[in-house]
Amino acid sequence: MRSDRAPLGLRIAAFAGLAFLHLPILLIFVYAFTTEDKSYQWPPPGFTTHWLGVTWNRPDVWEALSLSLRVAAISTCIALILGTLAAAAVSRAAFWGREAVTLLVILPIALPGIITGIALRSAFNLGEIPFSTLTIVLGHATFCIVVVYNNTVARFRRISGSMLEASADLGANGFQTFAHVVLPNIATALLAGGMLAFALSFDEVIVTTFTAGQQATLPIWMLEELVRPRQRPVTNVVAMVVVIVTALPILAAYYLTRGGTDTAGSGK
Amino acid sequence: MPLATPLAVEFDNVTRHFGPAGAPVRAVDGVSVGITEGCFFAMLGPSGSGKTTCLRLISGFERPTSGHIRIFGQNSEAIPPNRRPVNTVFQDYALFPHLTVRDNVAYGPRMAGVDRRTRHAAAEEMLALVKLSGYGDRKPAALSGGQRQRVALARALVNRPRVLLLDEPLGALDLKLREAMQEELKSLQQSLGITFVFVTHDQGEALSMADRVAVFNDGKIVQEGTPQDIYERPRTRFVADFVGSANVLSPELSARAGGPARWTSLRGEAVALTAPGAGRITGTVRSLRYMGAVTRVTVATPGGDLTATVPAALPLPAQGATVGLHWPADALHEMEGGA
Ligand SMILES: Nc1ncnc2c1ncn2[C@@H]1O[C@H](COP(=O)(O)OP(=O)(O)O)[C@@H](O)[C@H]1O
Ligand SMILES: [Mg+2]
Repeated sequence: MRSDRAPLGLRIAAFAGLAFLHLPILLIFVYAFTTEDKSYQWPPPGFTTHWLGVTWNRPDVWEALSLSLRVAAISTCIALILGTLAAAAVSRAAFWGREAVTLLVILPIALPGIITGIALRSAFNLGEIPFSTLTIVLGHATFCIVVVYNNTVARFRRISGSMLEASADLGANGFQTFAHVVLPNIATALLAGGMLAFALSFDEVIVTTFTAGQQATLPIWMLEELVRPRQRPVTNVVAMVVVIVTALPILAAYYLTRGGTDTAGSGK
Repeated sequence: MPLATPLAVEFDNVTRHFGPAGAPVRAVDGVSVGITEGCFFAMLGPSGSGKTTCLRLISGFERPTSGHIRIFGQNSEAIPPNRRPVNTVFQDYALFPHLTVRDNVAYGPRMAGVDRRTRHAAAEEMLALVKLSGYGDRKPAALSGGQRQRVALARALVNRPRVLLLDEPLGALDLKLREAMQEELKSLQQSLGITFVFVTHDQGEALSMADRVAVFNDGKIVQEGTPQDIYERPRTRFVADFVGSANVLSPELSARAGGPARWTSLRGEAVALTAPGAGRITGTVRSLRYMGAVTRVTVATPGGDLTATVPAALPLPAQGATVGLHWPADALHEMEGGA
C-alpha cells in the first residue's frame, strides 16, 4: 500500500544517512586493531591488541593527552565562572547595551574558528604574550564561555525576580540566596554546559593551531601523526580514546538537560 | 510625636519616583498614613495606583525618594529587607520550585540557623494551621493554586513576623476559593494578632476584610478610614465611583433634587421608587439588573442617571416606565471639589 511505501523509503534514507555518518567512525575502531601498519588495507589482514600496548608506551601520546586534559579543565573552569556571571547579568539586570553584550558573548561561536584563531594570534603577538598553555586556554575559553552561557541563561530567566526577593524577605543574605536558591536551580545547566565545554575544548584544532606554541594537544598531535606516520594504528587507538572522552560528556549533558527541562529546575 | 496607639508602620510624607528626574513616574506621591499594631489594613485602588510600591517600601525592596517609613517607631531606611520584622506573601507566591513544601516553609527558620528537627516541626505546625498537613513532601508544582497560596502564607507566618504584607494574595483564585480564603485570612489575622497590610483592587474584598481601608489613586491616598466611612461617606467622586456603592450627583442634579449645590453621593439602598411626581425627582427606567437579593434599577433623570437598589420583596417597574425617586434628606453626602 501507498501509506506503507513512503515510510519504508524514508527509513531506508535514514539508515543510509546514519550509516554514512557512523561507518567511518567504525572504521577508525577497526584499524586500531589491524596487523597492517603501513597503509589502510581493507579488509585488515589480521587483528591484534598489540597497538594498545605500543600507544601506552609512547611518551608523546601521554604529553599530548595531559596537555589536552589540562587545557580542557582550565578552560571549562574559566567558562563556568565567566559564562555564569554573563548569563546572570544579561538575564537579571536591565542595563544599557544589554542586547549588544548578548551578541558579543555568543559571537565567538558564530565566527569561524579560523577568524578567532587569527585574531587571538595577532593580539598575543601585539601584547608580546609568549605562546604557551595559557594562550591555548584563553583561545578555548572564548567558545567554552558561550557554551556555558547558552546553557545557563535560560535557567536564569526561569528564576523569577520575586523568588530572589522572597529569599531575602525570609531573612537570607546574598550569599545564602545564591547557595540555596540560585545554585540549585542552575546546577544541571552548569553541569551540562561544563561537560559540553570540556568536550569542545578537548577536540578543538583550529583555534589551537593558532594559539599553541611548540606544544601539541591531542588533536594536533593526531594531525601531525597523519602527515608523518610512524606507527599508523597508534593514531587510531588515540582516536578511539578521543571519541570516548568527548562522546561521554556530550551524551551525559544531553540526558541531563533533557531531564531538566520538564521538571522545571527541580532536578539535582 | 506621642501617640495613643503604637504604630506598626508609619508613612511620613513618602514619595517614590521612577524614571528620569525631569519627568518621573510618581508611583507614590506624598503618602502619610499610620497603620496601628494588630490592625487589618487594606490598600485599595486601581491597577497602577502605587499599592505594590507602598508594600515594597515597607518590605525594603524599594527606597523612598523622599520622606520616611518607620516600622515600630524605628526609621527603616538603613535596614535591609532580610533584617526587617516583616514578611511578604507575594502576588505570584514565589515558592521555591526545587524545594519540597516542608522545606519551603522551613526556609526562613533555616536562614535564621534553626536546626533541622526544630524547623521541620515548626513547618508542620504552620502547614496544619493552613490546613495542608500531609502535603510536606510534595513539590510546589504538584499543588493547586489555592494550596500554593496557603504554602506561601505558611512560609511567611512561620517566621512570626510582626507585620505581614500580602500583595493581592487572592487575585489568582476562583471566586469560591477566594471567598473561603477571605474568611480564613480574616480569622487567622484575628487569632494571631499580627498586623496585616493587604493590597487589593477588589473593593468588596477590602471592605469585608479590613479594619481600615486606604483608597489609592495616582500614588496618593484619597481617603483612609473604616470600611463604613469609605462605603457610606466617600470623600471624593473617585472613591464613590471606585467603591461603586453610591450614586454621584452633580451640583445641578443635587440642587434640583432639593440638596446642596455641591457634588454629593447617595447610596443606592437609600433610594426608594415612588409614583411619578411623588419623589424628589422623576425619570424613566433605563435598565434593570437582577442581582439575586436585590435588583439595581437605573433611572434616567434630567440631571443624569441614578441607581436605586430595590429589595427582592418589592415590586419592580417595567423598563421605560416613568417613576419617581425619593430618599431621606440625610442620605446625601457632600464630597470634595469637582474631582
Ligand atoms: N520598578 C519600576 N520602574 C518604573 N516604574 C514603576 C516601577 N514600579 C512601579 N512603577 C510604576 O509605578 C506605578 C505604580 O505601580 P504599582 O505600585 O505597581 O501599582 P499597583 O500595585 O497599585 O498596581 C505604575 O505606573 C508603575 O508603572
Ligand atoms: Mg500591584
